[in-house]
Amino acid sequence: VAWAWCLLAPAAAVLCVIVAAPTLGAIYASLFDDPIGTTPRFIGLGNYREALAGGDFWAALRISGLFTLVSVPLEVVVGLGLAMLMHRAGAGRALVRATVLTPWTIPSATVAVLWAWMLQPPGIVNHLLGIEVLWTGEEWAAKCAIVMIDVWKTSPFVALLILAGLETIPDELYEAAHMDGAGSWQSFVYVTLPMLRPALLIAVLFRTLDALRLYDLPAILTGGANDTATLSVLVARAVTSDLRAGYGSALSTLTFAILFVVALAVIRILMPRRTVLGG
Amino acid sequence: MMLLAPAPAQSQTSPGAEQRGPITFATGNDASGVLRRAIDKWNRQRPDEQVTMLELSTSADEQRVALAQNFQAASSRYDVLNADVAWTAEFAARNWLEPLDQKRFAGPAILPAAARSGIFDGTLFGAPYATSAGMMFYRSDLIKSPPKTWDELTYLCQTVGKQTGIGCYAGQFAQYEGLTVNIAEAVASAGGSFIGDDDKQVTIDSPQARAGLRFLVEGFQRGWIPRAAITYKEEDGRRAFQQGRLLFLRNWPYVYALAATAGPDSVIAGKFDVAPIPGENAAGRSIVGGKNLMLSRFSAHKTSALDWMEFMQSEDAQVEMQAPVLVKMYDDPGLQRRLPFMPVLKEIMLHAAIRPATPNYHAVTLVIQKNTYAALQGRKSVDQAVVDMAAELKQAISSRY
Repeated sequence: VAWAWCLLAPAAAVLCVIVAAPTLGAIYASLFDDPIGTTPRFIGLGNYREALAGGDFWAALRISGLFTLVSVPLEVVVGLGLAMLMHRAGAGRALVRATVLTPWTIPSATVAVLWAWMLQPPGIVNHLLGIEVLWTGEEWAAKCAIVMIDVWKTSPFVALLILAGLETIPDELYEAAHMDGAGSWQSFVYVTLPMLRPALLIAVLFRTLDALRLYDLPAILTGGANDTATLSVLVARAVTSDLRAGYGSALSTLTFAILFVVALAVIRILMPRRTVLGG
Repeated sequence: MMLLAPAPAQSQTSPGAEQRGPITFATGNDASGVLRRAIDKWNRQRPDEQVTMLELSTSADEQRVALAQNFQAASSRYDVLNADVAWTAEFAARNWLEPLDQKRFAGPAILPAAARSGIFDGTLFGAPYATSAGMMFYRSDLIKSPPKTWDELTYLCQTVGKQTGIGCYAGQFAQYEGLTVNIAEAVASAGGSFIGDDDKQVTIDSPQARAGLRFLVEGFQRGWIPRAAITYKEEDGRRAFQQGRLLFLRNWPYVYALAATAGPDSVIAGKFDVAPIPGENAAGRSIVGGKNLMLSRFSAHKTSALDWMEFMQSEDAQVEMQAPVLVKMYDDPGLQRRLPFMPVLKEIMLHAAIRPATPNYHAVTLVIQKNTYAALQGRKSVDQAVVDMAAELKQAISSRY
């Protein structure tokens, strides 16, 4: 046992330094106020009380939650479709995969700037659609734009994870299903989906956590205007614009706690149970 | 000869002690090369007190964070800062700046509005060296004489604007700092203000402030401000104007040179001119933008730094600026040839107003942006926006966190 601990020690030490230390540091910093002109004082949970009592935190939580609830299901559906396409593509397989994956390879800040350009009032999107929507100047339009760009950018990531899952499903299962008289829809529902469960778990988990932390798209497209100030936008605003390290740390600790609970819930709900798989 | 010991890392020395040596100047991006040229002139004269320019991020927020972190560490790395006029009060209240001699840096030779922008609580903390103020660009091929009042402006929108079918008036109306400036100009142009001169009294709940906000809200309602302008920052409006899609544009002096360069980017070169922004009953009041030079309290070479700041206000350096702070430069024939808007800008600067000077400026500007943006979008009535702002501003300026 002692030897096992020795082997684990380097990894544990690295984790402590790069994960635990900043997390604990932020929690510690969140217990101090941010006075102008004097040194910070210990105020216990004062920053948390301020965050939970004010409207901004709850509004940001609602917006981050909304983006997550809308964009993650869309990304799973679109990603599943793209994965099936990449899986089936015979000739030109490499080309299809490269094309599908391209949006995901562009850094998200670049994506946001590109779309901000295309979504200008006299921009190409309005021009092609023959409409005059103010994509960054109206509440619903701004929210739709952010969800749309997020789906455009990250569906390929979901597709990649699902594709890996698809490749591991043995052909025998489909043959057996076929022998039992299952059509292609039944094969999909009773063979493909259950077998994809681990891949879907990973995809939904990653995407949910990322969506809850969404920052670049609203920061660049709207700067948080038009009811798009997500939790991360709020944290960045507190720290960089307001120079309130303590309050910002409290907000980020709250965000961390929310992510932790949501991650546990997602794993609980989607965790494959072996007994179910056989059925 | 005495040997010089390495100076200990100290911030405060007895006043009057000579602190000479090389200095570091922290600034945003110097894209136009204006600062470089002025600094080179100094460096040629003062080999022992060289100024090193350190360019920080191009984003104003990130510049501010870099400066704040440096100050929080009580570092003497930056001696002089090129800091936004809106940050003066906060940096001073945080005790990061060295007070400056008003006679030396804000005397009668300096534009009064620029001098005021460096003052917090009766003390000068920012030495103006280059200024900026909103001005109205207009299509001189379509408009014979520029409108002085809002009524004249709306009349031209209904006549010339309708006939030509192009958008009439725009400024910066997206929800960011530019909106605060545009709203502050409209409010000041009707004789109102956000916070009183004592910086402690909220004064926004007034008929004048309502009139100012209503001017812009009605612009959106009646369509003489194009719908798309709710997304405009400086560059969006500049593009629209240069593409011939606007009759009037409120923007900063930098637009002039770009719009005057004929080519695919500007179809209106030679067809535009500038004027003061219009006001309720007479010419409006612009808001002073730009940056001031501030001296770090932690600087180890304050004497050299002060000398250099004074040099930046001298004719030698001022001649390089797009919008100098020395009053007499505006009448300089050479400068007028290079920058034809000088006489108009002088008139604007002599009547200009400043944004609220409060250590909580960031909280204040967010309150202004949030409420007035909702009013421009029609989600809040002018009255409601003003009442909400008054309550939230009271809270914002009183909180010391």
